[in-house]
Amino acid sequence: MKNIVRDLRTEREWSQAQLADLLEVSRQTVNAIETGRYDPSLPLAFAIAKLFQLPIEKIFDAS
Amino acid sequence: MREKQAISLYYRELFGALLIYILALYASNFIAEPMPVSTLRNLIIASPSIPALLMIWAIIRHFQRIDEYVRKWALENMGMAAAVTAGFSLTYGFMESAGYPRLSMFVTWSVLLGSWFVATCLRRWIERSQ
Repeated sequence: MKNIVRDLRTEREWSQAQLADLLEVSRQTVNAIETGRYDPSLPLAFAIAKLFQLPIEKIFDAS
Repeated sequence: MREKQAISLYYRELFGALLIYILALYASNFIAEPMPVSTLRNLIIASPSIPALLMIWAIIRHFQRIDEYVRKWALENMGMAAAVTAGFSLTYGFMESAGYPRLSMFVTWSVLLGSWFVATCLRRWIERSQ
């Protein structure tokens, strides 16, 4: 699944560690999501959407 | 719980359990050595397994604290280590039938921990280089 988490993060000039702190996950998890190695669970996807104030489908693209 | 806090707590619990294990190991050797062969002596010799369970408990608690991806990642590494250990013990079992020397059961434990460590380091290195 593709996503725009990296773009959204860099727009805000946050480091991976800062985003990880805001989402209460590890930096390793943020890196895995950004590089597409890991698709987050539904609760984490909702947390990401809430943080960036965007609908989930705008951030994650299943195609 | 934040990542650094979780790791710090994990190391404190794990190394605390390791310290108790080492003390129990020395104590059991010291107490059991002069004793005649008996059930009590066997129980004393096996007693360091109890603090060893504390280490397993520390690992389980760590798995419960870490986030979903790291938990999945760590369990995958452990699965790979279990597969390596199974492959090693099966293959060496056949080699023993062919005349290779019998190995202690402790070797299996070392292979499991060693391959878990190697799998973790290798995957971390691969992910960092991506």
